[in-house]
Amino acid sequence: MDIIFIIGGLLLIVIYAVSLYNKLIRLNIQVDEAFAQIEVQLKRRADLIPNLVETVKGYAAHERETFEKVVAARAKSTSATGVQGVAEADNMLTQALRGLLAVAEAYPDLKASTNFMQLQEELSTTENKVAFARQFYNDSVRTLNTAVKAIPTNLFVSIAKVNEREFYEIEDPTERGVPKVSF
Amino acid sequence: MPSFRALQRANQRKTIALLFGLALLIWLISFAAMTYFGGQGIGIIPIAVAISLISVWGSYYASDKLVVKMTGAKVIEESDNPKLFNLVREVCIASGAPMPKVAIVIDPAPNAFATGRDPEHALIAFTTGILEVMERDELQGVVAHEMAHVLNRDTLVSAVAATSAGAIALMSDFLMRTLWFGGRRDRSNSNPILILLSLVVILLAPIAALLIRSAISRKRESLADATAVEFTRNPTGLRKALEVLARDSTVVAAKSTAVAHIWIESPLDGKAVSQLFATHPPIQERIATLRRLEAGGF
Repeated sequence: MDIIFIIGGLLLIVIYAVSLYNKLIRLNIQVDEAFAQIEVQLKRRADLIPNLVETVKGYAAHERETFEKVVAARAKSTSATGVQGVAEADNMLTQALRGLLAVAEAYPDLKASTNFMQLQEELSTTENKVAFARQFYNDSVRTLNTAVKAIPTNLFVSIAKVNEREFYEIEDPTERGVPKVSF
Repeated sequence: MPSFRALQRANQRKTIALLFGLALLIWLISFAAMTYFGGQGIGIIPIAVAISLISVWGSYYASDKLVVKMTGAKVIEESDNPKLFNLVREVCIASGAPMPKVAIVIDPAPNAFATGRDPEHALIAFTTGILEVMERDELQGVVAHEMAHVLNRDTLVSAVAATSAGAIALMSDFLMRTLWFGGRRDRSNSNPILILLSLVVILLAPIAALLIRSAISRKRESLADATAVEFTRNPTGLRKALEVLARDSTVVAAKSTAVAHIWIESPLDGKAVSQLFATHPPIQERIATLRRLEAGGF
């Protein structure tokens, strides 16, 4: 009779251990997926830029410096790798885009054009998607890093080959707050 | 200083306490049946639970299709309303949820709801009214609230609550009938106080169950508000949306009591139904909570 209890107890311990191991694996995969989502959304934003630049050029052709900044930042963002690299390129492009939109502010004809108004919704949603993707990534990293350090999941870190992950840091203080675009 | 995480924890805790309350009520009414009718009384418990299970879980499983029928919602494609799909996709990215089905209810009253047995079978619907009156950030708050219902599994929670309350109502009904038609009392147990208490329990249990069920619904609404803030980190948008709903006095035409609890704003008149039976917390209270989140830096 006793042997059944011992086997049952051992079985429960094994099931518990497997669930902890799987939790770490799952959280680690979630971080990967979240980072992939950031890259997808940044690519979407990069794809929007040529259209946006063309539209603004039609009304404000002499603002060459601003366009160059955007195009350069875009080129850099498409080749960036690693969490830090992507975050830096993302940050640069975000700033450049903000400069471009500030330029657009000064041209009422441009703001009223149908092309620009159509782009506006696209830009709002893309900025929100990028911001939410960053937020979800950082939340996922926070959950994973907590699990890596906290008992009892930390006991399985070496077996699962899961490590603490890097946060997606953006320097711009205004970007940390509410992910909302208005122009 | 309140945070959305503290609010989420508090509402989850209260939901569990209330579900325990329902379980306790089932135990109480079973005990009362035993006391009053002896062994024969206990036989109705599995019957009541089975009937309630079958009636509620069928509708739970097919909730996305059923609710669509009851509210007249039409499932739409991305090309029908790209902006709404943008908003939904944004919140999906923020919450890590799969893309739900999106539907429209042709109704000038601003309102929205979410349904579906799990995130993979979720459906969120908006009235044409809400799409017209709300700004982008307000609508984002509403979408986040509905997605919060989906990810908090509120269709499941309300199905569990409905099953328990339904079983209690059925048991009380059976027992009252048996009583009426002169069901035999168990002579071996003749403590008059216990017998009287059993009668009171049998009589009042359905009302108590309904009260608990409404309280659960209210907690899930508060929880969805807090979770929406987790997704958007923007309590202002949802707060402004609720203010728009509070100002608006029109209610959706399809105001069936059966689906009242699923809308973001209760379609039933606050006057007629007592506060205790309301499926939603008072909208001013929800606005005040979101204001506290805004002030406290959530």
